[in-house]
Amino acid sequence: MATGYHRIIMKIVLTGSLFFLGSSSVHAGVLVQCPGDADGSATWTGAEVQPAHTKCMHLGAGDGFVTMADGKLQYVFGFSDLTGIAANTPTGTAEILEAGTTAAGFPAPLIVLDEGDEFYLTLTNIGMSMRPDLFDPHTVHFHGFPQAASIFDGVPDASISINMGSSLTYYFKLNNPGTYMYHCHVEAAEHMQMGMLGSLYVRAAQNGTVFNYNGKDFNKFAYNDGDGSTGYDLEYPIQIGSFDSAFHDANLAVQPLPFATMFDNYSMLNGRGYPDTVNPNPLPPPAENGGKLSQIESTLITASPGESVLLRISNLNVTRMNTLATLGIPMRVIGKDAKQLRGPDGKNLYYKTNSITVGGGESYDVILDIPAGASGKTYFLYTTQLHYLSNDAEQFGGMMTEIRIN
Amino acid sequence: MTTRFNLTMQLSMAIVLALLFQVSPLQARIDGITGTNFTLSVKTGRVFTPDGGSILLWGYADGAGPAQYPGPTLIVNEGDTITITLNNALTVAGANPAPNVSILFPGQRAEASTTDPGVPGILTSEAVPGGSVTYTFIADHPGTYLYYSGTDPALQVEMGLMGAIIVRPSSGAGFAYNHPDTAFDREYLFLLSEMDPRIHEAIEFDGPQSTAVGPYLANPFPVVWFINGRNAPDTLDIPNLPVLPNQPYNSAPMMHPGERVLLRVIGGGRDLHPFHHHGNHSRIIARDGRLLASSPGAGPDLSHEVFTIKSVPGETVDAIFEWTGKGLGWDIYGTPADGPQFVHTCVDGNGDDFDDTTHEYCPDHDKPIPVVLPDNLDLAFGGFYSGSPFLGTLGSLPPGEGGLNPHGGFAYMWHSHTEKELTNFDIFPGGLMTMLIIVPQGASIP
Repeated sequence: MATGYHRIIMKIVLTGSLFFLGSSSVHAGVLVQCPGDADGSATWTGAEVQPAHTKCMHLGAGDGFVTMADGKLQYVFGFSDLTGIAANTPTGTAEILEAGTTAAGFPAPLIVLDEGDEFYLTLTNIGMSMRPDLFDPHTVHFHGFPQAASIFDGVPDASISINMGSSLTYYFKLNNPGTYMYHCHVEAAEHMQMGMLGSLYVRAAQNGTVFNYNGKDFNKFAYNDGDGSTGYDLEYPIQIGSFDSAFHDANLAVQPLPFATMFDNYSMLNGRGYPDTVNPNPLPPPAENGGKLSQIESTLITASPGESVLLRISNLNVTRMNTLATLGIPMRVIGKDAKQLRGPDGKNLYYKTNSITVGGGESYDVILDIPAGASGKTYFLYTTQLHYLSNDAEQFGGMMTEIRIN
Repeated sequence: MTTRFNLTMQLSMAIVLALLFQVSPLQARIDGITGTNFTLSVKTGRVFTPDGGSILLWGYADGAGPAQYPGPTLIVNEGDTITITLNNALTVAGANPAPNVSILFPGQRAEASTTDPGVPGILTSEAVPGGSVTYTFIADHPGTYLYYSGTDPALQVEMGLMGAIIVRPSSGAGFAYNHPDTAFDREYLFLLSEMDPRIHEAIEFDGPQSTAVGPYLANPFPVVWFINGRNAPDTLDIPNLPVLPNQPYNSAPMMHPGERVLLRVIGGGRDLHPFHHHGNHSRIIARDGRLLASSPGAGPDLSHEVFTIKSVPGETVDAIFEWTGKGLGWDIYGTPADGPQFVHTCVDGNGDDFDDTTHEYCPDHDKPIPVVLPDNLDLAFGGFYSGSPFLGTLGSLPPGEGGLNPHGGFAYMWHSHTEKELTNFDIFPGGLMTMLIIVPQGASIP
C-alpha cells in the first residue's frame, strides 16, 4: 500500500514541477472547482456563500475492498466521497490522497440532486494502491444525461479522462428530473465489473407543491406530472449489480483478466447480498482497506401502511439483465430511463406488474402503495432468476431485500 | 490554443475524412438491395473478428455474390408483392449431407410459391441441398423487420442465416410510417447479434454430424458481439471493405444538431442486449413494424423516451433520436472570451429558441463554459477527441492523440450496456459498439 501512496506523491511532485516550468496554464494536481467555495472543500463553510441552485461534490477514484455476504473479501475499483476536505491548504493534497487511498465504496457514493441545480462534480484520480503497475485514468459518466456535451460525458474514447494525481471538474445543468446512474467509462468492461458504479437521481421541481392523487395529498413527486400521479412519501435507490469474484481475484493478483469467461457469482442490491441488504448500518470495514467504511448503503425498505414508496431502480450489471419482483405488493411503474411513462400528447402509460426486467444501463421508477392493513408485515423485493438468490455457493442470499411495514 | 473551423480547414479535413473512412455516398442511407424480386443463396464464408479470429459463416448471399453476415438488407416498398427465391448452395465437412435451409419472415404473411414450393419443413418450406424454394409476401405494413432461417434455427441463425427487411411507407422514403410524426432526416440500422465460436469450429471440422454442437447449442456462451455483422472497431470502417468480404455493412452514424435520426434496432441473435445510446434520449415509436398508436391514424401517441433500448431477440424497435445541446448552460460554439474566432451570432427568427440555421440553443448563447479544463499533461485523450470542448473546433493535442474526428464533432458511444459485450474474445475494447459523431451544420455528412 505504501508503494502506491508514494508513487502518487511522486506523480504530484512531477506534475507540479512541470507546472512551474511554465508548460501549462492550468493548475496541475488536486483542484476543486466550486463557485463560492474558497478552500476547495466542495462545501460552503464560514464566510463562504453557496450560490443559489448550486451543488458541488468531490469524488475520488481508486481501489479498495468490500465484503460479500458469505464473508468473501473482494478487491474493487471504486469512488470515494472526498467532499468536505479542504484542498487549498498546505496539507490539503496529502489529506485528500490519504482519505481517498483504498477508500473505494461499493456502490459509489449516492448522488442526489434537484432539478434546476448547477452541479460541479470534481473527480480526483487517487490511483490504485494495490495495483502500482496500473496508471489508469478515470472518468464519471452521468448515464442518461439528456442533451449531453461530449466533453462532460466521461467516455474516454470520445473526449478526456483524468490521470492519477489530478482533478477534472464536470459541469451539469439539471433540467430534467428522474432516475439516472453514474459510472466510470474508462475500460468499461473492467472498471465497471470492478465496481465503479453508483446511483444518481434528480428530484422534480414540482416538489413542494401539493397535488391530491387517489384521495391522498402528496408534496414529493418523481416527475413534474401536473396531477400527483407520481407522488410518493419515501424514496429508495435500488441499484442492481453483480460481481465475478474470479475476475476481481485475478485483478488483485495482477493476472490476465478473464473477459471472455466473465460470469458473475455474487448478485447484489446496492452492493450487498441478502441478508446484508437488510442490515440498516454500514457493513464493518475490512481490515485490508485500513478501516474505511466501504459499504454504507442499506437496502432495508421500511414504510408505514398507506404510504407510497418510490423505488428508483437502476442496473449497472455488466454481464446480464435482471428481473426484480415484489411479493405481495404490486409495482406501479411510472417511469423508465429518467422519463415519466407518458405519451407525447399526455396519455399515461403507467402499468401495474409484479416484476420488471432491467438491463444494464436501464432505470425504472416504481411506486409501491403500501396497503392500509399491512402493519407489522414483511414483503420481499427479490430476483425471480432464482439461482441469483445466492452468495456464490451459499444458498438463499443474493439479490433480495425486505420491505418491512411499521 | 484552439482553431476555429474555417473553409480551408473544412476542405482539408474533408479530404482527411475521405482518406480515413473512404466515405461512400451511400452511408447516410441504410445499405441494402431494393426491388420486388430477390434471389438469395446460402453459402459459406468467413466472419473476421478484430482479435484476429476467423469464424465459419453460413450466410445468405445476394445471388452470385458472396455470403453475407448479416444477409442482404432487403429494402422494399409498402404494397409491393415481394418474391424471394432461395438457393441452397451450402457445402459442409464430414460424411453427412448439407442441411436444408429456409427463410422465416416474421411480421409478413409469406407462403411458398406453387411453382417452386421446395420441401415441407417444420416451420416453413425448405430448399434441399442444390435445390431451391421461392417465397412470396405482400409488404402490406411499413416498418423494420427481421428474416432468418426456419430450419434448425438454433444452429442456422448462430451460423449466420439472418438479415433485415425495411418496408418503406407509401408516404415516402423520409418517413418510417404513414404519419408525419415519423419523419426523419437520416436513418441507421443496428442489427445486434452474437456468436459462440465453439459451435462454428465444430461445424467446420466435423460438419452436421458433429456431436459437440448439441451441448454447445444447449448452453451457448458467446464471446463475440456484432452490430450489422461487425465487431468494434470494424463497425466504424467503410462498408464493402475488401478485407471483410463477407461483412459488407458498417455502423457509423453521423448527424447535425437539430436533425431527426431514425434508429432501426433489431435483436438478430438469441440474447437480449441493452443498447445504450449516449447523447440524449430517443423516442421509441414502433415495435415489430407496428406504430405505437392507440388507434389507426393517431400517430405514435403511445411512444415514450428511453436512454437504453432493450433489444430482445427477434424484436425490432424504431426510435427517433435528436440532439441540439439544449439547456447545457454554456455555449457549445464558444464565446468571444475563448478567442476572436469564436464570435458568432444566434439568430432565432421563428421563435423556437434555436438558431434558424445552426440549431444553436440561443438562451445559452455566449455563456462561457463554467469550469476550467485541466492541462493536457493531466489528461488522457480519446481518438475521437477534437482537442476542444466546442463543437466544430479543433484544439491542439499531444502528438499521436485524437485524429479520428476531423470535423471537430461531438462523439458519443452507442453500445451494449452489458459491458462484457464490448470485448472481442477477451480483448477490450470491441464488440457491440460504435460511435455517433455529431458534426456542426456545414460539415458534410457522407
